[in-house]
Amino acid sequence: MGKIQMFEKPLGMRDSFPKVNEQKEYIRSTARNFIRNKGYDFIKTPSVEYFETIGKASAIDESSLFKLVDNQGETLVLRPDMTTPIARIAASKLLKEKNPLRLAYYANVFRAQQREGGRPAEFEQLGLELIGDFSAYGDSEIIHTAVELLKTLGVESFRITIGHAGLLTALLTNNTNTMEQVDALRQLLVEKNFVGFEEKLENLGLLQEQKDNLTKLIDYTIDFKVFENFRPYLTNEQQYLIDQLEQLKRLLELQLNYPSIVSFDFSLASHMSYYTGMLFEIYAAGSGFPIGNGGRYDELFNQFDEKVGATGFGIRVDRLLEVLPKNDVKEKHTLLLFDEASYLKANVLAEARRNNAERVTLQFIASINDLEAYKRSFDEVLIVSEGGSLRE
Amino acid sequence: MNELTIAMPKGRIFEEAYQLFVEAGFNLPKEINDSRKLIVEAPEERIQFILAKPMDVPVYVEHGVADIGIAGKDVLLEQLRDVHELLDLHISNCYIATAGLPNTMMNEIAPRVATKYPTIATNFYKEKGEQVEIIELNGSIELAPMIGLADRIVDIVSTGQTLKENGLVEYEKIVDISSRLIVNPVSYRVKSERIRTFVAQLKNELIKR
Repeated sequence: MGKIQMFEKPLGMRDSFPKVNEQKEYIRSTARNFIRNKGYDFIKTPSVEYFETIGKASAIDESSLFKLVDNQGETLVLRPDMTTPIARIAASKLLKEKNPLRLAYYANVFRAQQREGGRPAEFEQLGLELIGDFSAYGDSEIIHTAVELLKTLGVESFRITIGHAGLLTALLTNNTNTMEQVDALRQLLVEKNFVGFEEKLENLGLLQEQKDNLTKLIDYTIDFKVFENFRPYLTNEQQYLIDQLEQLKRLLELQLNYPSIVSFDFSLASHMSYYTGMLFEIYAAGSGFPIGNGGRYDELFNQFDEKVGATGFGIRVDRLLEVLPKNDVKEKHTLLLFDEASYLKANVLAEARRNNAERVTLQFIASINDLEAYKRSFDEVLIVSEGGSLRE
Repeated sequence: MNELTIAMPKGRIFEEAYQLFVEAGFNLPKEINDSRKLIVEAPEERIQFILAKPMDVPVYVEHGVADIGIAGKDVLLEQLRDVHELLDLHISNCYIATAGLPNTMMNEIAPRVATKYPTIATNFYKEKGEQVEIIELNGSIELAPMIGLADRIVDIVSTGQTLKENGLVEYEKIVDISSRLIVNPVSYRVKSERIRTFVAQLKNELIKR
């Protein structure tokens, strides 16, 4: 790397210019109202946490963590996600006061980028967590809320694909011989590398029956909606996984236009390793990347010595911006120009307009270098005279 | 039916892949004469082809400006892009191997490897636990050992003819390469029906071959 240029920012860091910032503010306030009406409480957590606790419990890969050292020599991380800090607060304090607990956040998270400097390493995430509920009703609430939230925000065309981390693990484990094989196959599914998956099946030395069973995971012709088809591949103790999904599907069908928005795919696997139950990804036309994801992560609480059910989702605000229809927040912005003589008059006039919820900038006219250029930033420009009259 | 955008690598792979599509029963224009065209329409199938440099195909697909792409496994291994790899098309088969002058050993003090594929080369030597210096070149890799820039090269081998003509021999095979059908993760969901049918039709033809 060469010498750092004066205007350069650290890799992956971005400024939000006024227009974009306004759009984010629109998303934040709309989402906040909607989510609060659903009974969720917003929460803030520190930007910096200990690596030993949050850093290790987080599902984000260690290589993506921003690390620093405090003056005691402890390793710190910039929070890579919000779910883990929220689990910490819930386990240490809030669950004792209220259980089940509904928490929401709008916060920036930090993930160092390996490739292509342009990708953001800090971005805002909007999400919610329902903690203290093991039931499918909780999962259904989360998915349903995600759908309604996107509609409220004005996202037109989006899809949610639902998988099940526990079911996938069961299907993989039943048809392989070692944990390493399970992990290798799962990783290929996370990458959606179907070619690699098939190759791996050949190389692992599995029985023909095992291979056939596993191939079903990546078969396009299989209708994942018919969960019954998967029962024969599960042991008796594992049947409850299908029951869970059946129940979730029934609940979703009651409220959602099922095939056009929500679909199931058991090969869906996540790089977020703390998911244990159902998990889902949200895709929207307009962004090449998933705009959000979520799922059930009961086991994360084991790390905080709690045994509770937890489910939630997070949406990336930067990707949301990409898929939202471009509607500039339109509001009239007036410029009042004054000189030495009209200073006081201009202040009075501006105050009156502002009380009327208008947006008014007051500016001493002689300070402006290029008046014509400056005027272009405003919808209306008025010059205040000594007597208080206005002219264009 | 949604419009599908397919990013294709220019050159030989394009011809082979296009032929494969035609044989799979897609109703595509007979001939694409104008090689300078960057976008080719196939209105009957509502498909749009983007002609790109092979190295750029995964970029278009990752960012979703193309739903589908055809890319060599070499490019995918080198760039590690976030795309779904759905089918092995079994065209342009070749492999990546190390090569060098015959009967030579790696320099013990400063072993150097020249390649167009720095990531693949780095990973290969890392796995073997050998410390080497990787020198990235953009073409004519075979030159490197001949003029003493590097002890080994890591490059694509299809027939071995180029190596032979330049007096080089193959040392270790690293990985098999062929063209793959890649899909953008969001298109895979948002246009799922369309893409599944497309892939299934292609797969049928591949099984026949």
